[in-house]
Amino acid sequence: MAGWQVGIDIGGTFTDIVAARGADSGTAGEAEFRTAKVPSRPADPVGSIFAALEAIGIAPDGIADLVHGTTRVTNAIVENKLEPVTLLATEGFEDIIEIGRQSRRDLYRLDVPPKPAPLIPAERRIPVAERIAHDGSILRPLTATEATIDAALAAGTRSVAVMLLHSYANPEHELALAERLQGRVPYLSLSHQVNPEAREYERCVATVLNAAVMPLAAEYLARLRAELPGNARLHVMHSAGGMASPEAAAERPLLMALSGPAAGVAAAAAVARETGEAALLSFDMGGTTTDVALILDGRAEITVDARLADQPLRQPMVAIESIGAGGGSIVRHGPAGLSVGPQSAGAEPGPACYGRGGTAPTVCDANAILGYLNPRRRLGGTITLDAGRAAAAFAPLAEQLGLPVVELALGVLRVADATMARALNKITVERGVDGRGATLLAFGGMGPMHATGLAATYGITRVLVPHASSAFSALGCVAAEMSYTRQRTLRLPGEGFDAARLAAARAALLEELSAPLLAQGVAREIIAAEETGLIRYRGQSYAVDVPLSGAMDGAGLGSAFEARHRALFGFASGEAWEMIGLRLRVAAPRNLALAPPAPEPAPPRPFATDPCWFAPGAPLPTPRYERAALAPPHRLVGPAIIEDDWSTILVPPGWSATARPGGHILLLREDA
Amino acid sequence: MSTPDPFRLEVLRHALTGIAEEMSFVVMRSARSPLLREAGDLSSALTDATGQLVAQGRDIPVHLGVMSFTVGAFLQRVPAERLRPGDVWFTNLPELGGNHLPDVKAIRPVFAEGRLLGFAVSLAHWADIGGAWPGSYLASATESVQEGLRLPPLRLFTADGPDEEKIAVLLNNVRGPAEREGDMLAQLAATATAERRLLDLCATHGAATIEAAMAALHDRSEAAMRAAIASLPQGVFEGEDFLDDDGPGGAPAGIRVRITIEGETAAFDFSATDDALAGPLNTTPYVTAAAVYYAMKAIAGPEIQPNGGCYRPLRVATRPGSLLDPPREKPLVGGNHETSQRLVDAIFRAFAEVIPERLSAGGSTTAGLLIFGGAGRDGAWKTLYEPHGGGEGARHDRPGRAATRVHLTNTNNTPAEIIEAEFPIRIERHALRPGSGGAGHHAGGAGTEREYHVLSPEMSLTTMFERRVIPPWGLAGGEAGAPFRCLLRRPDGTEEELRGKANLPVRAGERVILQTSGGGGYGSSD
Repeated sequence: MAGWQVGIDIGGTFTDIVAARGADSGTAGEAEFRTAKVPSRPADPVGSIFAALEAIGIAPDGIADLVHGTTRVTNAIVENKLEPVTLLATEGFEDIIEIGRQSRRDLYRLDVPPKPAPLIPAERRIPVAERIAHDGSILRPLTATEATIDAALAAGTRSVAVMLLHSYANPEHELALAERLQGRVPYLSLSHQVNPEAREYERCVATVLNAAVMPLAAEYLARLRAELPGNARLHVMHSAGGMASPEAAAERPLLMALSGPAAGVAAAAAVARETGEAALLSFDMGGTTTDVALILDGRAEITVDARLADQPLRQPMVAIESIGAGGGSIVRHGPAGLSVGPQSAGAEPGPACYGRGGTAPTVCDANAILGYLNPRRRLGGTITLDAGRAAAAFAPLAEQLGLPVVELALGVLRVADATMARALNKITVERGVDGRGATLLAFGGMGPMHATGLAATYGITRVLVPHASSAFSALGCVAAEMSYTRQRTLRLPGEGFDAARLAAARAALLEELSAPLLAQGVAREIIAAEETGLIRYRGQSYAVDVPLSGAMDGAGLGSAFEARHRALFGFASGEAWEMIGLRLRVAAPRNLALAPPAPEPAPPRPFATDPCWFAPGAPLPTPRYERAALAPPHRLVGPAIIEDDWSTILVPPGWSATARPGGHILLLREDA
Repeated sequence: MSTPDPFRLEVLRHALTGIAEEMSFVVMRSARSPLLREAGDLSSALTDATGQLVAQGRDIPVHLGVMSFTVGAFLQRVPAERLRPGDVWFTNLPELGGNHLPDVKAIRPVFAEGRLLGFAVSLAHWADIGGAWPGSYLASATESVQEGLRLPPLRLFTADGPDEEKIAVLLNNVRGPAEREGDMLAQLAATATAERRLLDLCATHGAATIEAAMAALHDRSEAAMRAAIASLPQGVFEGEDFLDDDGPGGAPAGIRVRITIEGETAAFDFSATDDALAGPLNTTPYVTAAAVYYAMKAIAGPEIQPNGGCYRPLRVATRPGSLLDPPREKPLVGGNHETSQRLVDAIFRAFAEVIPERLSAGGSTTAGLLIFGGAGRDGAWKTLYEPHGGGEGARHDRPGRAATRVHLTNTNNTPAEIIEAEFPIRIERHALRPGSGGAGHHAGGAGTEREYHVLSPEMSLTTMFERRVIPPWGLAGGEAGAPFRCLLRRPDGTEEELRGKANLPVRAGERVILQTSGGGGYGSSD
């Protein structure tokens, strides 16, 4: 038998695992697929992995590839549990990390600090006597290197970040410092490697954050590597939705800042390719946040402008819009009206209906009040839902507003939908796409229950709940292509376009990115490359992503850029343009069967019928079906609920649900 | 017209605010000048059919306050009957719900179901609007016309396309016409986006519901603001603060406010403020109102949804002939961001004795502006418009933050790596200014220092900053922050301190060294 392809996503509460092995590997036996969810052990992530493997009955030595999505880097940044870092910066610019861009977060609030505290205190910012110009020429040679290095070492941190001005144009000085520091500090981050692009503050933050998570990431990966027996190859899911080797991830841990959500988006992209959906909006609703992303023609959009905890990351990442609204989000009535989130009841105590001491009204409680959540099913085998507690949590607010509790609960869901719709709007608007023609792909603990409501608010008529929707990030770890992405600064004016330089830069980048794939035994012929030019009118600040295909000459690029600019902003001016960067992505596909074996297509029978509220007035008798009992060509008409141990798919009146090949459920708006 | 239920109201509030935010995104991503694309000196708003503000982006408070008046004043000049679908009107007249000539407003009426539904307004600071000096900040100006082109409402675009002749007149009278045109198109695109989104919203909910929601949002904010005012101590409070000078010189000019808090309403009477100034530090009653709106939201109701209704319980009075309500021929380019901030200072100081815990001490309340003009590295004429933050004033429970924008302004700085790639300027240093925060139980935030090294034979320089003479004030016994300073250092080593409002040529090898003010401290030092 071929070895297992295993995907593991360690979240805050649960660890998800998905394992697959193909029938096309030339050996006997059927394609196999297994999945499970086990409680996470926050103090022992490696232990979580072994527990998950045990839950699906796979021995570590049966694994061929283990792909891991982790929130360790994310959490370290969000919770500000960062390793102290010493910063070496061009003399005169060592305070840039505190000055930032000067603007403040909130226009009207005086009580909160206008910007986050600096990542590095003044005493650990060491000036470096040197200066490079914007064109890479050296204005002031690097001097007093030993004294600088001594000062850096005296600061006594394990991790050092180096940020010299214009190092993306000429890395000579950063490399010279690195040479002297090598072997004298365990962890080193150079700005021209972490973010080879102009804008010193953003590059500095990215470099320092990378340095600040390096020890944690390196030690974690080393332990994983050491304890994973056998010949299993270990890969890490990075934020652009592809793989990184543990070595690369340890060097550039910032690439893992969105590892978990990116894995979900990678799975969504795989579903888009499998089902042929041209435009897909992924909708991952969890307990405290909702992440959405846009997938066009099977590819997730990539951005370098992502931020985490108010800090710029400047890494190529899946363009995910994240908002603080989830199942645990607390409903509040303030001076600005009714709001949902960003305060959350979290996992502890959780929503009131969990009966674990929560008393604040939450989105999840609204679902319980309306009858959508099955009170007889134990969520994940542990939590029993108590609609009575949910109603008690809603009562004070209902009284204040003079509304019945049920009407308030229905209203809360509409407000939650409107809040989430803004995230959908943002992610589509920024790409110049009308999202209403897209299919909403709903996953995460709460996604399948809220999908039709959100779709109706936003004007979407198709919702797909994918196979393994509640372990979707883990599925993404298995479904994602083996891929690597990198972005380089490359300044080429449109007039007299130097196509040869572009071709040379592309070839060099291709070689660099293919190396790890070739080392893993991937055949060069199946490696696909995809390049994107970052192009703007001369004088603009932000470049437009222009896919480079076919002839990469000046005329072709110019017209492709203008077309893209018109699509995004409604005009194109025909002025002089320039290319400022090149992004390359290489990928090798993995051909795996990811679908569960289909059950016998006996007509589906509800296992229960409960009253559920979809509108004020009276509840409707709503049948409940086991998800595992559905198979093509089954079709249900709302109201109906399809559930398993982990999630609830709501099919309201006016919608239908059809079982699709591959274990997906398609929800269609019938009254549109 | 029935009021939408509270949930639909919330749905529409999100949608309308989302549209305003999207407008700003469109401008920032497609504009040409660094002032818009890097510094973000722009704002977006939606109004109802009468011009009352309904939704705004997360932009610049002084713009947003002024835009509460722009469309209303525009409609006085251009009756609604003259408006057609597809129109986009441009204006910058200060007396028409405006602030200063560089802030050009693009106004698009939006029609739905055969009637006027509201307006989309995109305000952008043009890096040049003509006049006597590059960047359109003439320190020695004594007349409005010296400050640039005055644009009464002009219909530059109709459903049939651009009005090429009018646009040509405009572009012939500003510096950097290609860049200006790019910025203008970005504003056009923003209003077009807003129109599309509003029409989508009408298709879903119906125009009548949108109109009812707008009215309901006004009412809700009004109620919230009334409650916020009622939470303030009742009575009459007086505050004053001073501008460093009147522009080219002169003595400090006094801004005086008498605030009456009575039940759920608040009145702000600025009659005792000094007379109109000779130089460009005058401002408009609209900017005065914007400062009041900002201060009341910051002090009493930061969470209140900002819209026309929010401001109904507030009364603002200025005296014609004063520097806050000057004759229309007076210059006022600096008043928009200097005098406006001083108004906030005066209001805060009026409350300093009674509610110090709701305030922050004086901060770097100035745009801290340097404008360099000349040929860019690509040979095209360019301006580098550099607003600078400083220290935040301390509060009762925390020190002030260093290097930030305070109160009415919220622009970004421009990265040294961008400046150096585009302009013949080298940034030699950008650092915190140690010891510049005022001492106190909690210290004020530090200002910054930035050193510009001029590389081309000659460029023009404009300064427009305050707090050089009168520093940011301490609160509750805290000390003042360090004053703002700007030095010109010549290649021979001689230095000259520049005035806060100056126009001068700078030459290769000269260095302009800016030190921004620190914030005031809170409470006496222990």
